[in-house]
Amino acid sequence: WILAWMGLEINTMAIIPLMAQQHHPRATEATTKYFLTQATAAAMILFASTMNAWTMGDWNINQISHPLATTTVTLALALKIGLAPMHFWLPEVLQGLNLTTGLVLSTWQKLAPFALILQISQNTNPALLTTLGVMSALVGGWGGLNQTQLRKLLAYSSIAHLGWMIIILQFMPALTLLNLTIYITMTSTMFLSLKIMASTKINSLALAWPKTPTLTTLIMLSLLSLGGLPPLTGFMPKWLILQELAKQDLPITATIMAMSALLSLFFYLR
Amino acid sequence: MALTSARLLTRTVHEKWICAHSLTLRPLVCINKAAFYGEYRRPGQAQDRTPPWKKIRFSFAKGVQGIRKHFGLLKDEAMERWVGPQGRPLIEHMLEQTRVQWEFRGPESLEQWLVSTDREIGGRSEAYLKLGRNDSACMLYGTLCSTPPRDGETCYSGYCTLRSRQLLSSFDRKKNIDWSSFNTLYIRLRGDGRPWMINIAAETYFSHQKDDLYNYFLYTRGGPYWQDVKIPFSKFFLSSRGRIQDNQHPLWLDKVSTIGFTLGDKADGPFQLEIDFIAVCNDRAHTEEFAYEMYKRNPEV
Repeated sequence: WILAWMGLEINTMAIIPLMAQQHHPRATEATTKYFLTQATAAAMILFASTMNAWTMGDWNINQISHPLATTTVTLALALKIGLAPMHFWLPEVLQGLNLTTGLVLSTWQKLAPFALILQISQNTNPALLTTLGVMSALVGGWGGLNQTQLRKLLAYSSIAHLGWMIIILQFMPALTLLNLTIYITMTSTMFLSLKIMASTKINSLALAWPKTPTLTTLIMLSLLSLGGLPPLTGFMPKWLILQELAKQDLPITATIMAMSALLSLFFYLR
Repeated sequence: MALTSARLLTRTVHEKWICAHSLTLRPLVCINKAAFYGEYRRPGQAQDRTPPWKKIRFSFAKGVQGIRKHFGLLKDEAMERWVGPQGRPLIEHMLEQTRVQWEFRGPESLEQWLVSTDREIGGRSEAYLKLGRNDSACMLYGTLCSTPPRDGETCYSGYCTLRSRQLLSSFDRKKNIDWSSFNTLYIRLRGDGRPWMINIAAETYFSHQKDDLYNYFLYTRGGPYWQDVKIPFSKFFLSSRGRIQDNQHPLWLDKVSTIGFTLGDKADGPFQLEIDFIAVCNDRAHTEEFAYEMYKRNPEV
């Protein structure tokens, strides 16, 4: 746990100068908010791991077994990645950054916390994971509804996708990994396309059709894939997750997740 | 005698200990919020040391009214979400190229504005705001006096300002204006030839940014004809507490708080400014991002 915590801190410290590179108060604000949230989460991880080591005598990551320690570390990792209800920092931070740094924040910065989440998945509270997942999916769909800024839209999309990943973690971690991989691919596509078009608002996307028809089509397909529309790739993880939830006798949870996916699809389609 | 001297000595030592410790403990015990946040206090006025709980004026009726008002606003916000951004359909947001943000068409429009002068710091300027003829414009008029107040501290005086109120959503949360679809400020006004300054305040995060404003000049033509002023947002420069900053950056338009007009041209006498409307528009021909060079000061050689 100590080495994992050190890795997370180094990860945070490394991206801070990249975020603050743009000498604008909004970038500094985003950097400060990111640093405060990540430092809090890292401190909570250290606290939980120390508590587990004190009570259970084990520093191993996948041997965390004390209930309070497990809950604390799950919440800390949820804060790290921006799961609801610890998601409030993500849209504001992404809005203050340029598209390249936003891409790194949405993709690369999720890998380390997810590595830890996957390792502790067997010992986490199932009810907590379900709550986090459902809340994230709903918040991601509701929050993204009237967004006109593309970075905030992608932030809420990230929150929703993380909800899908977390909810299936307790039943099939392999699906979480698959969902994460596909999410990273789709999000990278979106961010890089938006960077080529230099657009950060939906108005500029609307005007892009005559200028770059191929890229606009690609963005449209990527958005539909993010929304989980068949037969695009983004549909596959959602379908598999719903199938697994149904097998685990959680039809209500599956229904709520599907409805929230419809909310997300609504603002992607617009 | 010896006992009295010993008692005196002890008391003196004890008093000195209390004095020394109160000096060191004072910053920890009672933090002077006004000094910390740089709040202005009129010279000669005693600091307001009333504790916050003594300033409460409890009224049950007002409380109920407030609850009703704020929950009503919350309900409206939730319903607006289903319509589109800012309660308008998305197609409207996508297609709009102009938006009239403030227009003066009735007495309720004046309530969105605040007028202030150097009277607050002891000066003698006056400014008033009223509706113009046929309720079709607002008129800001008054008299400027640049005589500084005789308080021993203030050196300069003679200003007046008209500033829009901060928009508030439910439960008095700040609401910002999103002008990111536009790039030009469009104002229809009629002045008296005096030079004004337009100030735009954006949402800030750090306490040292609370006085940050983005300014640009507004030169009015005196005369019977209305003047259409179009100022691109790329021309606005950053100032803090009235001082132009070395580190300049463009105004981000997604979180605008207020707009204001300030007159401080050191010319004593009457002034008047009529404003018909304040709008924003998207000038497709204007592609400049920022008008000022951002070169490095003290470059390495």
